Order: sequence, then structure tokens, then C-alpha cells
Amino acid sequence: MIKEGHFGSAEAFCLMLVMLTTRVFYSSPLALIKDLGTAAWYGTLLSCAVSLIFFGLLYLLMKRFPNQDLYQVYETVTGKIISKLLILIFSFYFLYYAAINVREFTAILKAYSMPYTPVSILIFVFLLVVIAMTYVGLEGIVRVSYIFFYFIMCGLAMLLLLAIPAYDFNNLYPLFGYGLKETIKIGVLRSSAYDEIVILAIIINSIYGLKTFKRVGFYSLILAGLIISVTLACILAAFEYTAASEQLSGLFQLSRIIYYSRFFQRIEAIFLFIWVFASVITVSMAFYLAVSSYCRAFKIKNHRPLLFPFAALAFMVAFIPRNIGEVFEIHVHFLRQDSFSIMYLIPLLVLIFALILGKKGGKAIE
Amino acid sequence: MKKKQNTFSKIMALITYKKTNRPQTFVLPEMDEGQNDNGQKDSGEKQANKPKPEEQPQAGEKKKRKFPRKPLSASQVKSNRTDSDEVKNNIDSNLQVMKEQFDVPKNKDLILREFTLGGNRRAFLVYLDGMADKFIINNFILRPLFNEESLDSTQSGKSANILLENIVETNDAKKLISIKKVITEILKGNTALYLDGLDYILTCESMGYDKRAVEAPKTEAIVKGPQEAFSENLRTNVSLIRRIIRNKDLVTEFFEIGEKSNTTCAVIYLQDVINPAILTEVRRRLTTIKTDFLVSAGMLEQFIEDNPLSIIPTILSTERPDRTASHIFEGRVAIIMDGTPFSLIVPVTLNAMMHSPEDASLKWQYTTGLRLIRFCAFAIATLLPAFYIALTTFHREMIPTDFLIAIAKAKENVPFPTIVEVLLMELGFELIREAGVRIPGIIGNTLGIIGALILGEAAVAANIVSPILIIVVAATGLSNFAIPNYSLAFGVRISRFYFIIAGATLGFYGLALALMAYILMLVNLKSFGIPFMSILAPKNKRSRDAIIRWPVWMQESRPDFLNPLERDRQPEISRGWSQQDPNK
Repeated sequence: MIKEGHFGSAEAFCLMLVMLTTRVFYSSPLALIKDLGTAAWYGTLLSCAVSLIFFGLLYLLMKRFPNQDLYQVYETVTGKIISKLLILIFSFYFLYYAAINVREFTAILKAYSMPYTPVSILIFVFLLVVIAMTYVGLEGIVRVSYIFFYFIMCGLAMLLLLAIPAYDFNNLYPLFGYGLKETIKIGVLRSSAYDEIVILAIIINSIYGLKTFKRVGFYSLILAGLIISVTLACILAAFEYTAASEQLSGLFQLSRIIYYSRFFQRIEAIFLFIWVFASVITVSMAFYLAVSSYCRAFKIKNHRPLLFPFAALAFMVAFIPRNIGEVFEIHVHFLRQDSFSIMYLIPLLVLIFALILGKKGGKAIE
Repeated sequence: MKKKQNTFSKIMALITYKKTNRPQTFVLPEMDEGQNDNGQKDSGEKQANKPKPEEQPQAGEKKKRKFPRKPLSASQVKSNRTDSDEVKNNIDSNLQVMKEQFDVPKNKDLILREFTLGGNRRAFLVYLDGMADKFIINNFILRPLFNEESLDSTQSGKSANILLENIVETNDAKKLISIKKVITEILKGNTALYLDGLDYILTCESMGYDKRAVEAPKTEAIVKGPQEAFSENLRTNVSLIRRIIRNKDLVTEFFEIGEKSNTTCAVIYLQDVINPAILTEVRRRLTTIKTDFLVSAGMLEQFIEDNPLSIIPTILSTERPDRTASHIFEGRVAIIMDGTPFSLIVPVTLNAMMHSPEDASLKWQYTTGLRLIRFCAFAIATLLPAFYIALTTFHREMIPTDFLIAIAKAKENVPFPTIVEVLLMELGFELIREAGVRIPGIIGNTLGIIGALILGEAAVAANIVSPILIIVVAATGLSNFAIPNYSLAFGVRISRFYFIIAGATLGFYGLALALMAYILMLVNLKSFGIPFMSILAPKNKRSRDAIIRWPVWMQESRPDFLNPLERDRQPEISRGWSQQDPNK
């Protein structure tokens, strides 16, 4: 088993919050506003609430098997062979997640900021840093995320606050968007957008157990929901839903319209930096989980020899979508709207099996 | 065929993963680790029965020790060849050993004086010319010996005590039976004395070589505070610290490092404060150094630092006794080498490198302001040129229009791309700086300033660089000088070029990625088991003297990450008078 080290609840909280909120820098606001119109800002709160329910169920599963991480629970409940298969599904999902995130990020970066640089170069350099992060391991990623968390959150808050003159909150009307039914349907489905929270169950042994797991999970989900909701409301207020549903990155546009004087305007520089920081942390974590899950499945002790092969795979997966349209309409759509079938339903099925078979783990002493 | 195989294996070796043969890293154990272990026990029997992951490498390490050790070095073989390390009770044998060890008569430094006492008792004394004080030898060793009438061959048994206690009049004298130790004493400047029939050699303290007096600090000069700096003499340096820390728990341990140079190295710490694990690690690193000679603290630093590949130093070097003492008070170890006017402080974090010795003497508001300026200087010195290149090459749309026009005007006649301009100016600046150090005395400084002014002015006039770039490079250079630590400033100088390349290649995107990789490197650095970025990550109890300096009376505890035995520095109410009624 890879030596993963330990870190406290503050570090875990920062990591999860960064992972859960990174998508506001990408095309997530665009997709939500497109589907839900002016109801997008509370639609995401609905997704967050559904995720909280799923997380509660996950907590029940982890509570049933104290001192075991999610993969160990799989093994206890489903046996060696099926658990291997499940772990591999997770591994490939994380690889896919990392690759599509990189592609989405670089596609928007190219469209907005680096129009003359080939996407392959952007992805290649990005993956180099991701390899360095993963080489160091979980502890390194967590520490970096803990340091950059403050930059990211301060940067985001600054962007939203500085754009206040551009807000017109009348743009949030009609309140029900395209109808309550549509809002609830999409809101429930988009709970996938918060499914990164399952990662906590995989690294539960590094965060000193169940108590931290519960606390960090609930708090980071709630706060992430609020942050995304506020950001969406700001984008809607600044651009109206018609214009906002056509912008690749609403936040990037928001940073562009900031104007206070001739010398204080267009602060995309801040945006670009926090955007890169958040993306690298998210992709590194996903990439690390892809590699470490693979190592867990085949009992490989050192994850480092697998980094370059996995990076090559990620590079190739990132080029599966042939154009930016495919990236958003198929792949990102799957990640944010359908991935709950992997991330939430598999642990849920395992919980049901555990209940039916009456399997339990060791006793927990809190 | 064999050659083909070799080529094939070489190519394969280039592209396949090789496990790095890194030494086991030292991790500082928590002082309350026992409690944690108990806490973990409750996590179930299954895990409790398993060996902890940390324990596994240790077990492997134990196994490794069974393998034969490395072959002995030439000097070890030489020293092993001598029949025995012990002093013989025969003057001829001992004399022979001394001559062999010091290569007498070829070696003219060694004075080997043979004489007869009490009529027919042979004796000799040995010392190194120039290292020992002849006045002490003549008046306090030789004169009492010749005046002593009780010494004759018939009283061989009693003479040992007589000699030690009553005859030799030096302040320190040791009876040594190991030749190796005798030689070390002679090399230090002491005098060895032997009388026929004895089974030991007496070494008398007679060190008396020329040394520099205690002077004012040269690289860490301050306005407010003590004006003393270390000198090359180890004893003087230790006494400078002892004068500040008048505490019986201040311990000084000596180590001899360098098989040929036998350099004495002092490890100084406060016994009731320091975490014993740090001390053990320092001892372990010092005692396992195998090298011929060490002449400077900088060399020793390279032997004991955690990560030699890092361009950021992880050991603090200071020439100030007061600064050394304050670190010892906090629970760190000071290592001082004989012959070097610097002490090495371990373990340290980034914030310690950014502190100035003056910080403690100034009011907290001034210090905090100065520190913020220093951290800004750190950021400017590292990132400004790269930021400028990225902005002007890739993201012109982000520059406010008026400023963009100013930049464009200034660059209009410059034929080079911005990256060439920046590299030219940076190179020029580094040249001036290096030349300024080599040119002796005041001319060096003057020439540096004039050189910079003329070069800059001429470069702008010749349209080689734009005036804005001169401002950028000058601000960068100035900021670099604002970094208080000499080694850290070097690290920043090199890092700057790394960021310049990143910014020139991929703009802000490249710069942001490079910054992440850089921070990743920093958070993974360790200084004697302590994470180098402990002020930020991993999370620990916030220090009140990291970046923002709290008033000195509010700094109740020592740094959390050092895990000292004594956490509290002072009670919560340290200003007792503030609780009293002055009118009573």
C-alpha cells in the first residue's frame, strides 16, 4: 500500500472545497444557466441538498465499517474479485475526470487567453505539473491546496465584490426559470457535480477517521453549494440569463467587465492565476486517485512508476473529444450530470448489499 | 552482441523508471505521539495488529545493517595498522609512535623536546609550533618540571599523581591513554608530556595562536541591538553565546569532523527546551560524516542538509551571537565550527530566513511593517521580470491602454524581443554584482553603482533595452538585496530565471504552473524533520512571530512545529506590573 501520510481536518476541508468549487471557473455556470435559466442559482442548491443526502448514506456505509476506507469496504462486502473491478472502475473514472477537466480547462484557456498556443502544448505542460504533484503524493497535494486555498477564495471573493457595479438583481427574475419541474429534475441530476465528496471516503484513513470525515464532508458540501450559488447569482445579475448562457466562462467575463478607473480595470490576471491554481489541484487529486486506485487494485506498492504511463493515458483521453462542442455537450455533461451513477450509486449498492448480507466491520471507539 | 545488449540496456534505462536511492527521511515525532498511538488503537484490532507503515522501513533498515559495511578508507586502514592505540609504558616506543604519526623529522611544525629529569629520568614533550603558547610551555610546564626534585626513576609509581596535581601549572591537564586522543589534543595546540615508565600521556592546555578579536557584524549589521559578531575561534564563539544565555542547561557538545582536518564542531542547545529527537538527529548526521577535511560552515551545511538538490537553503547561517542565542532559546540547535565566524541553526523554516536580527529590538508595529516589505521584496525579486515578460508578450490586453502606449513607445526602437532584453539586463546586473564583490574595498561598491548607472543609461540610449525594463530590473535587484538571508537571496536569484523562462514560454499560464511547482517544492522541503513551510502548511498552532510580529509580551509560547519540551516561554500575564495598582 502506498504511504499516504496524515493531515488534519482543515487541510481536508480546503482540498474538498477547492475540488468542489473549481467548476465555477469552467463551463458549469454556462450549462446550468442554459438548462435552468434564472433558476440556476438555487438549482445548484438543490443539487447540493441531494448530494448531502447521498453523503449521509455514504456516512452510514463508512460508519458500518469503521477504520476501513471505501475500497476496503468494497473488499469486505463484495469479495476480492468484484471489489477489484469496482476499484478499477473508480480508477478509470478518475483518470477520465482528470483528463476531461484538463481538456475543458485548456479549451476555455485557449478561447480566452492563449489563442495561438496549441491545446496539446497547454495540456502537456499542465500534465507535467500534475505529475510533479502526484509524484510527491497525497500529503504534497493537500499542503499545496491548503496554501492556495486562501488565494483562490480571496481571488474569487474579490472578483465577485469588484463586479458589484455591474449587477442588476432584476435579472434574477422570473424566479422559477423554465419551471419548477425542470429545476427539480436538473437539480437532482446535477448532484453529480458534487460527487467529488466521495473522495473523502477513499482517503478517510489519512484524515483521522469517521468524525473528521463527517464534519469535513458536510461543511465543505454546504459551503461549496453556497459559493457556487452566489457565483451563479452574480453572473446572472451581471449578464442576464440569455447572455450568460452563451459565455464559456461566466467568471472570466465577469473579471473583464470590472472597471473602476483607467488604471483599475480588467483584472483577468487575477482570474487566470486562481483558475490555474484551482485546476491543477483538482486534476492532481483526481490523477493521484486514478493512479493510487490502480495500485490498490493490483497491490502495487509504489505509485511513481505508473505516473508517466497514466499521464500518457490522460493525454490521450483528453483528446477523445474532437472539438470544444463535444467536450461540453458529451463529456463534461457526463461528469456533471450523469457521473452519480458511478460515484454515488456504487457505494449505495454496496451499502444495500452490506445491509442484506448483514456484513459489518470492526467496532468503532470514538 | 554484448555491445548491442549494452546499448539496448542503456536506452531502456533512460526510459524506464528507476527507484531513487534516497536516504530515509527523518520525521520529527510529536511530543504527544504516545497519545495519538492510543487514539489510533481504538481504530480497531485489525489495524492494530498490522505493522505501522512507518515501522516497515525501519525493519528494512535493520536488515540492511547485516550487510558488510563499506570498505575502509585509506586513513582508516593506516590507523588500523598500528598495533595498538594505547600509550606504552616505555618512552622509546611512545617517542617512535609520535614521530611516525607526525612524520618527524620531515615535518618541521612539530616540536619534540626530549630531556632528562631528576638526573636520569627521561621525558619528552610534544607540541605544534605556532599553535601552542611558548610562554606557557616554558614557564608553567618546563620550569616547574625542572625545579621539581622529587622526580627520579625510583618513584615511578607515585610520580603520576605528583605530576598532574602539583607540578604542571597549567589550568587544564588530562591524562590520556589513547594515542589518537593525544594527537587530537596536540593538533588543537595543547602540549603532550610523557615521563618514562608511565602508562599515559599528560596533555596540558597551552593553546596560543593568533586570532581575530570580536568585531562588529559585517553581513548582518543592524542599528539597534548588540554589535558583536562571531570570530574564527570556537572557544570565543561559545563564550559569546554563554554570555547571553547564562543558564546551567546550556550544553555544548564537541565533535571532531574531517579525518585529516580534525575540525572541532560545537553543538549548542538548551537541554530542557530542545526536542531530544532533533538533537539525536543532529548528532547522527554529524557523527556519520566521512570526509577528509572541512574548512567552513558552508561545507558542513552541505553535508548535513536534508535536501541537497533544493536551491532554497534549509539551514540558517548567522554571524550574530544574539541571533543564535534567540534561536537556541526557541528550541533549536546551533552548530559552530572552529575556524568559521558563522553558526548554523537547525531546524529552520522560511519565516526564520526572512527575519532580521533587528526585528526583536524594534517595536512590533515597525517589525511587522518591515517584514511585510521583505515578503513583498521576496515576491518581486522572484516574479517581477517574469510577470513583465508574460504581460508584454502574451497578455497585452490586460494592460491599461495608457500604460500600454507608454510601454510600446519605450520599446519602439528596441530591436530585441522582451525576453532577450530582460536576459541581457539581468545578466548585466549579475555581472556588476559579481564584479563588485571581487573589486577590493570601497572602489567595489562605487564601481558597482557607477557601472549600473552608466550601463543602464547607455543601454537605453543605444536602444538595446527599454527604460521601463531598467526600472523592472532595478526593482528586482533592490528587492533581492532586501532579503535578509544571503543564501536565500542566492536561491531567489536562480529561481528568477526559472520563472522568466516559464513566463516567456507560456505567459501567465506558464507562470502560474511554475509557481505551483515551486510552492510544491517548498512545501516538501524539510529542515531536520520540520516542514520548511511550517508557517503555512501543514497546519499547526499559529506562531506569534512568523510574519506578523506580536508584541514581545504577548509571545507566550515557543514555535509549535519545533515540539519543544517546554512550550511556554512566559505566562499569559508577563507584565506583572500591569495588573497592579500603581497608586497603592
